[in-house]
Amino acid sequence: MNIAIIDYGMGNLGSIKNMLSYLGKESEITRNKDFILSADKIILPGVGSFDAAMTNLINLDLKSVLEEAVRHKKIHTLGICLGMQLLTRSSEEGNMDGLGFIPSTTRKFNFDQPDIKVPHMGWNYVDVKNTSNIARDLPDDSRFYFVHSYYVEVDSQENSLFKTNYSINFDSGIYKENIYGVQFHPEKSHKFGMKILSNFINI
Amino acid sequence: MIYCNNCIFNETTPAISFDEEGVCNYCHLYEELCLKHPAGKEGEEILNNIFSEIKRKGKGKKYDCVVGVSGGTDSSYLVYLIKEKYGLRPLAVHYDNTWNNSISTENIRKVLTKLDVDLATHVVDNEEVDDIFRSFLKASVQELDSSTDIGLAAVLYMFAEKYKVQYVIEGHSFRTEGVAPLRFSYTDGKYIESVQKKFGTKKIKTFPNMKLHQFLRWTLFRRIRKIRPLWYIDFNKKAAQEFLQNEFDWKYYGGHHLENRMSAFNMSYLGPKKYGIDGRVNAFAAAVRNGDLDRDEALKLMNQEPHLEEGLVEYLRKRLGIDNEFDDLMNLPNKTYEDYKTYKKTFERLRPLFWVLYKFNLVPESFYIKYTSKSEI
Amino acid sequence: MQLRPRIIPTLLLSKNTLVKTINFKDPSYIGDPINTLRIFNELEADELILLDIRASIEGRVPNFDLLDKISKECFMPLAYGGGLKNIEEVRKIFKIGFEKIIINSSSYTNPSLIKQIAEEFGSQSLIIAIDYKKDFLRRNKTYYLSGTEKIGQDVLDWCLEMESLGAGEIMLTCIDAEGTWNGLPLDFISEIDNKINIPLIAHGGTAKAEDIEDLFSNSKVSAVALGNMVIYQKEGMGVLVNMPNREKIDKDYLKRLDSSA
Repeated sequence: MNIAIIDYGMGNLGSIKNMLSYLGKESEITRNKDFILSADKIILPGVGSFDAAMTNLINLDLKSVLEEAVRHKKIHTLGICLGMQLLTRSSEEGNMDGLGFIPSTTRKFNFDQPDIKVPHMGWNYVDVKNTSNIARDLPDDSRFYFVHSYYVEVDSQENSLFKTNYSINFDSGIYKENIYGVQFHPEKSHKFGMKILSNFINI
Repeated sequence: MIYCNNCIFNETTPAISFDEEGVCNYCHLYEELCLKHPAGKEGEEILNNIFSEIKRKGKGKKYDCVVGVSGGTDSSYLVYLIKEKYGLRPLAVHYDNTWNNSISTENIRKVLTKLDVDLATHVVDNEEVDDIFRSFLKASVQELDSSTDIGLAAVLYMFAEKYKVQYVIEGHSFRTEGVAPLRFSYTDGKYIESVQKKFGTKKIKTFPNMKLHQFLRWTLFRRIRKIRPLWYIDFNKKAAQEFLQNEFDWKYYGGHHLENRMSAFNMSYLGPKKYGIDGRVNAFAAAVRNGDLDRDEALKLMNQEPHLEEGLVEYLRKRLGIDNEFDDLMNLPNKTYEDYKTYKKTFERLRPLFWVLYKFNLVPESFYIKYTSKSEI
Repeated sequence: MQLRPRIIPTLLLSKNTLVKTINFKDPSYIGDPINTLRIFNELEADELILLDIRASIEGRVPNFDLLDKISKECFMPLAYGGGLKNIEEVRKIFKIGFEKIIINSSSYTNPSLIKQIAEEFGSQSLIIAIDYKKDFLRRNKTYYLSGTEKIGQDVLDWCLEMESLGAGEIMLTCIDAEGTWNGLPLDFISEIDNKINIPLIAHGGTAKAEDIEDLFSNSKVSAVALGNMVIYQKEGMGVLVNMPNREKIDKDYLKRLDSSA
């Protein structure tokens, strides 16, 4: 199985590769067009800002590669953290268009309560909206590591995979056909993250 | 392949011999020990006497004995036995060779917390001990983990001396572990020293080695005695494990000695792959002799792959910094402890002295049997 | 609504070994870094802090090779601090796989570095460590270089300064309490936490589970960093790596959530 972890200069690439390796799966950290287009699974990581990420993807010609891979070749793709936000139409964090693979937008956490600090940083729980794919057999008390200042809102509830509460209920997981996104970091969430990644690999 | 008709040792077992009925000398040794060290009511009485003596000698001191703990079945059950059943006031002692896995630390924590027993730990210097492990790999002998055995023995004496305690309690049980062939796990302080001298890259300053003079000082001068209570009870491993699970939420770690990553590597990987020895055979053979395991079942179990922690070999290669040389090390021609300087000849010469020491419980009887005889058993 | 209280084992690295200090002095050896982190990973610690306490004093770079080996053992967020002086070193730490970096001494000698890190990697990746001790007038003042030299800033002022430069979190360590089993200085910690907007990690002195429960029930502090408690069996006894039982802490947390809902 060929797993491509997209290298566009941003994200916890090594940690994802490390967890996949622990799960017995080899993966390639790559920006090579041919490898990506022939991969069985694609992982789009991301840490940093929206516009910087989209700029890098465009400059490295990866935006068009991902369009081809995801929209046409229908390769199973998982966006992680900023990588999930890139799957949306646009983000309040920046001015550029997102990849728009899943009908949704990215908004800023805006709380006027001093209690609730931004970024949302720490371990939190998820409410599973669809148990048929990457959330299969997830234990009830599953918790994941989050660190983000922006959150995703799906246009239509049919694309919501996980919901998490942090003063508001936001979509901590989204999906559409062959495309998945998780706001948390599975590679930093112990056995809970391993279950997500392992489910994704086995889709 | 000739197998013992009683247990499952075979002709490749070191120092083995068979009688006219095809029963091996290890089985005979087991019978002798059973007669000498009865369990049941007689064993109970012997233990009561020993423990009364320990309590008497320990009056007025913070602890009356030290007991070695590893998180494994034997030592976990032992602490429970001596504290709860016999009312001793033990200090638990752990030799941390820096290769523990969390199952052992958790087991130690759970058992000692519930029993309210204090723990003293000696953590060996990680860089020194890793160099010793590397040296033993380069020495190409099967006793990779012998430094842990010596370290534990030394540390038990050290803490006994520190807390002015006269008794070291050990969890060995000949009924469940047998008396292992000496060649399976030879260890002594001179062996460690000579291997390290030959192959080591670091000077060893703090590793608690046990040289002969220290050993004699602790036994002859300090008169610290070694007691093995499990020799006097019908100790059944499976029953003990179930009890520990229910009472303490203790967890099993997949096999004998597998609660420590280094001994696990030795038992499940190095032994079988490089030396063709599977250490599980001791416990299985003992269980067959004891009637706890069916002989055919034991032979079947031996055919299963030994349990190995996920990623353990990679971890070891990385941590010891031997990733590139690993294959070469595994392919070195095999050697034995006899290829290096050890105290073996000295032990043989001092056999009469060690006979006296064993009679006074200053050395374990199995030590006398294995180490001081020319035949290794 | 606050997040689940964070309990963070904090380990001190000295050359290639782990040590434990008392009031930042008299380091005693406690074990191997790689294996100890592997154990904390097995115990499913939510996150972990690793501090090289000799790097700044000795003026050397972090031990990148060792940190690389360590980071591969953990499937939870790791934070590293110790001797980080410039953006290149910081980049290397993130590349190795650490989530966050901790800056202490450099915050005093090169504060522009804080802004640089916040801009390039985001505030959430940056913890500023502030170590303090009481001076002879019993006022809490800042120290640096592993507590060996006094800077003398007022703690709150410095917290606010760091917040304005882009720090994501403050790790507040009471040198007088560290390694002593004497408990956390709750009042002072709460006082600081109430006046800053970014999360605070309380460090130094925690002795037992009740101390942690007290901290989280009586303040809004988001995290506690533990030393002695996760390293020793109990006060005065031997090394035994462990994680505190979260049951009561989580139960109290959920109760508070319900009552505020």
